Amino acid sequence: MSLKFGRLSKSSILGVKTVIYSKLISGGIIGCGIAGLAVALNESVKASDLTLHPPKYPWYHRQGFFNTLDMASVRRGYQVYKQICAACHSMRFVAYRELVNNTHTEEEAKAEAAEILVTDGPDETGKMFQRPGKLSDRFPNPYPNEEAARAANNGAYPPDLSYIVLARHGGEDYVFSLLTGYTDAPAGITVDDGQYFNPYFPGGLISMAQALYNDVVVYDDGTPASASQLAKDVCNFLKWTGEPNYNERMLRVMRIIIYGSAIFLACWYGKRHAWSVLKSRKIMFREKKTVD
Amino acid sequence: MFSVVIKGNTLAPHLKATSYAVGHKAILAAVNASHEGEEHIVSQDFKPIDAHSMRLINGQLKAVSKSVNAIGQVRYAHTDIKIPSFDAYRRESTKDPKKSSLATDADRKAFTYLMTASFAATSAVFAKSVIRGAVSTMAPSKDVLALAKIEVKLDEIPEGKNLTVKWRGKPLFIRHRSAAEIEKERAVDVSSLRHPEPDDQRVKQDKWLIVIGVCTHLGCVPIANQGDFGGYFCPCHGSHYDASGRIRKGPAPLNLEVPPYEFVGDTVVVG
Amino acid sequence: MAGFMSTTYNLLFKRTSTTIFTIFVGALLCERTVDYSTQAVFDHINRGKQWKDIKHNYEK
Repeated sequence: MSLKFGRLSKSSILGVKTVIYSKLISGGIIGCGIAGLAVALNESVKASDLTLHPPKYPWYHRQGFFNTLDMASVRRGYQVYKQICAACHSMRFVAYRELVNNTHTEEEAKAEAAEILVTDGPDETGKMFQRPGKLSDRFPNPYPNEEAARAANNGAYPPDLSYIVLARHGGEDYVFSLLTGYTDAPAGITVDDGQYFNPYFPGGLISMAQALYNDVVVYDDGTPASASQLAKDVCNFLKWTGEPNYNERMLRVMRIIIYGSAIFLACWYGKRHAWSVLKSRKIMFREKKTVD
Repeated sequence: MFSVVIKGNTLAPHLKATSYAVGHKAILAAVNASHEGEEHIVSQDFKPIDAHSMRLINGQLKAVSKSVNAIGQVRYAHTDIKIPSFDAYRRESTKDPKKSSLATDADRKAFTYLMTASFAATSAVFAKSVIRGAVSTMAPSKDVLALAKIEVKLDEIPEGKNLTVKWRGKPLFIRHRSAAEIEKERAVDVSSLRHPEPDDQRVKQDKWLIVIGVCTHLGCVPIANQGDFGGYFCPCHGSHYDASGRIRKGPAPLNLEVPPYEFVGDTVVVG
Repeated sequence: MAGFMSTTYNLLFKRTSTTIFTIFVGALLCERTVDYSTQAVFDHINRGKQWKDIKHNYEK
């Protein structure tokens, strides 16, 4: 550096630099302030202070980097969905065949599918007919359309649950908190008929009544069915329906890390190999005698 | 500062092989044979290789050249410059200065090629899975595949009856053949048929005939248990099929198509 | 070590054809071993949680 700037006075360069730096810093502070104000204004519009944020729960699939979903819990969660949630909520993107070799055997899944009636057709006479469900059928919709659903639920539309964990901020933590978070409304909040107070629901007033109580379901594997156990299992089930390839993806992550690091190491060696000539090159300088 | 002067034996003083190897920052000076001073050093190991060039001397003199009756080329020997250690860029095998590079040649190459090969191999595995993923997006999706297979319970079909089910948008005939029908179709002379196929090639179990119910003529749906041969009859242009689904009379060129199927217990899985 | 490396070079990498062959064989072996070992590690981490660990309860 000193060689390059030999003819220039050092202080003048530093002076210019200082001015530039101070301008940059002051500009940065102002910019950050404006951005922060914009964010703050935006947040205040969301009225997020009325909503309780769910805590992070220790789900099995979150405890380790390569953990799968707890499939026994997912299976129980299917039972909870079928016996409780399915009364109002559809899952129109999930088919019975997806249960096979994930939570149920093929025979069990066929038996589950056969419990529903599916409108099929037209037959030879051009009429629609009802038949028992097959593996290729999807979970039944409790209402024929959205209007019917709203009419039956005080104007509120029970959302489809296929991807609900992905579709809600907070994911399975939110759904779990919502299912177990029903309380009495605090003073100052009026709850109309057909509405319930839930601090985790944005706005606090939800049209869904508390659905999970202790022992409303009898698990076929004998697990004690406390309300929080039911909520945990159904959240695991909803997580699985939202990301049916979750387990496979975890295995793939492991493989990608192994192959990626091998490729990285080889690239790193290749870079060193290619650059070693330049890096170990000797460059000599001869100072030219300046004539004063 | 080193300066070395060599005199030609016979042609001196007219021809001088003169060379200078000068330390860093040395002042250039015209040095002649006549100007030799106490700085004149001639190494004991200094041996001419040929008339025109000299080699490294004692690891100190870096360049020697020749000129006629004048000062030769001057290069710097750099013996006073500290050369940084490049050991981080050198392999273990090359750190011993007494070893010739030829001795460690295969060793060094092997490692570099090993790294190259492992890069290529892992990349190949990676590329394979990426390509497989990309190609599999063109394969039918699972919901389509789930619809492509149907299961039919066979014990619900009485003997001599024909069941029509829908399979991939086409009617599928499942016929419970009687012993008399089986006997009759087996006795048919295959060489007399338009599309010669023996009966046992068209069925997997004698009792069950499973064919796609689309006439091979123009695609109408034949009617079961009608026609001259007791099998199927196409009402559009009058093609007669027998109880093995073979064309026997009429315009159709081929027998009714047999789909892939297999028996699982008392059900048949078609697709 | 040095002997091993030079043998490796002379046997595998001296010719382009053997180099390519080595790469393909290496890719096959590498895929097999990585698939097998990651699956084993994965099953060990998640023992008792996957469908294959619980399906014996439901199969007749």
